Amino acid sequence: MIATDKVWPWKLLLAVILIVTAAGIYGSVSRIDYEWRWYRVPQYFLYKAEDVIKTPFDGVVKNVSVSGSEAVVDLVSLDGEQQQLIVDGETVKVDAGEDLFEGDTIGFVYEWNMGPLLTGLWTTMWISAVSSVFGLLIGLIAGLMKISKNYTVRTLAAIYVEVIRGTPLLVQIFIAYFFFGTVFNLDRNVAGIGALALFAGAYVAEIIRAGIQSIAKGQMEAARSLGMSMPQAMIDVILPQAFKRILPPLSGQFISLIKDSSLVSVIAITDLTKSGREIITSTFATFEIWLVVAAMYLIVTSILSQFVFYLERRYRVSD
Amino acid sequence: MIRAENVTKIFTGRGVTVRAVDGVSTKVDKGEVVCIIGPSGSGKSTFIRCVNGLEKFTEGHVFIDGVDIADRKTNINKIRAEVGMVFQQFNLFPHKTVLENLTLAQRRVRKRNKKDAQEKARALLLKVGIGEKESEYPSRLSGGQQQRVAIARALAMDPKVMLFDEPTSALDPEMVGEVLDVMKTLAREGMTMMVVTHEMGFAREVADRVLFMDEGKVVEEGTPEHFFIEPREDRTKLFLKQVL
Repeated sequence: MIATDKVWPWKLLLAVILIVTAAGIYGSVSRIDYEWRWYRVPQYFLYKAEDVIKTPFDGVVKNVSVSGSEAVVDLVSLDGEQQQLIVDGETVKVDAGEDLFEGDTIGFVYEWNMGPLLTGLWTTMWISAVSSVFGLLIGLIAGLMKISKNYTVRTLAAIYVEVIRGTPLLVQIFIAYFFFGTVFNLDRNVAGIGALALFAGAYVAEIIRAGIQSIAKGQMEAARSLGMSMPQAMIDVILPQAFKRILPPLSGQFISLIKDSSLVSVIAITDLTKSGREIITSTFATFEIWLVVAAMYLIVTSILSQFVFYLERRYRVSD
Repeated sequence: MIRAENVTKIFTGRGVTVRAVDGVSTKVDKGEVVCIIGPSGSGKSTFIRCVNGLEKFTEGHVFIDGVDIADRKTNINKIRAEVGMVFQQFNLFPHKTVLENLTLAQRRVRKRNKKDAQEKARALLLKVGIGEKESEYPSRLSGGQQQRVAIARALAMDPKVMLFDEPTSALDPEMVGEVLDVMKTLAREGMTMMVVTHEMGFAREVADRVLFMDEGKVVEEGTPEHFFIEPREDRTKLFLKQVL
């Protein structure tokens, strides 16, 4: 056999497999009589809100001046009170000199608003970000506790990790909200973030422990032999090296966390998943919305993994 | 400067107890160079690691400048800042440049400012002959260069004593000389040194006193002249016959 390192046949094969898969899905879907309504999706990203501007009192229109897309309407009440209102230029319903009664429509203003998909995405992102920060902190502390020489400290961390890793996140979220939330009177966001942070922390703890233990013993000895204290050696010598090594598993954990955060929708936090479900109840565009929601998660996680890839390359200089 | 009294280190594990260091007593005066030689597994490395407390010994005392390091009240970090150590595997910090390797402990432990620490570091790098490599990472250096940086890193703390734990054992043969040269210079300048080594030539030329260890005990101790020319003990004779 002749070894070849040509890539294009394999690229071709990949393309064929992807096209066949897509065609297969398309074929199956077209057999089940589903009416696609993609046009209904964009309004759930951004929509134009319409606001009616009404006359606040009985009076007369003093002047209407249209400039660009805006119309400025000056009103004078019967008591001589003056007011200026701004509406969209094409929607002015009044002319100068017209008599008006309180509540008459003068025109409309339009404003672009974020739809539920974007507000849901925003909720998902900030909840994940806050949980990640706390998860990293908890994980760092628990990871360091796990390698402690003290039996009590070490065992406490081990129990925490075991309990969290041995129970489903969904159940943890329920316990955090319905049990701890009730007992300590916690807001649903606090309960949700708390559950996610504790969950991520247990996995981060194991990653950090393994990372620290993978650094050669001589590094700690060299630092200590120079008179550095244990915490100094950890902060300046061990953790920077361990961090570089655990960056890939750690980022995987945080990407998982973004996906796992979809579970907080069960305690009525309106994240991306819950927004999707709400939109479906009003549109029945089940296929479209779930595909869009999946794509949005994918975009966020891909951006994150690209960023981590960039960090890895940057840290590689000392290898 | 250093006084070891009956230092004993017992390793226990899986029902086996090993007396790695078995009642070693010795002292090193200011400006003295003491070489510790012996077959592998004789406990010489374990012993030198006991001297700065990297290895916690089971019994005995080590006094550095009169301070007992086995005493719980002793601040071991303060002692270690005065006792430089060079390892067989160099143990440079791979995520820091050569210059940062030399300045880190100066700044954290000696609380020197950046400028002073760098000045000190550059002077020492020149002294060990690698002044031009200060912004390289350790992985870019040869073994001999790395070990010279490690020596400079220990010297940057202005130690009163230097401990060397087989500093040339992990080096390719052609790099041994450059490291030994640095050590000879240090010895000539009056540095107090304790050296675990297999380099008999170095021990003979530089040492004021030679300790021969076997099975955790000091078997024979004396000046190089006495030691290499007319050793008393049979085990010493046998060892010297094997290595020379």
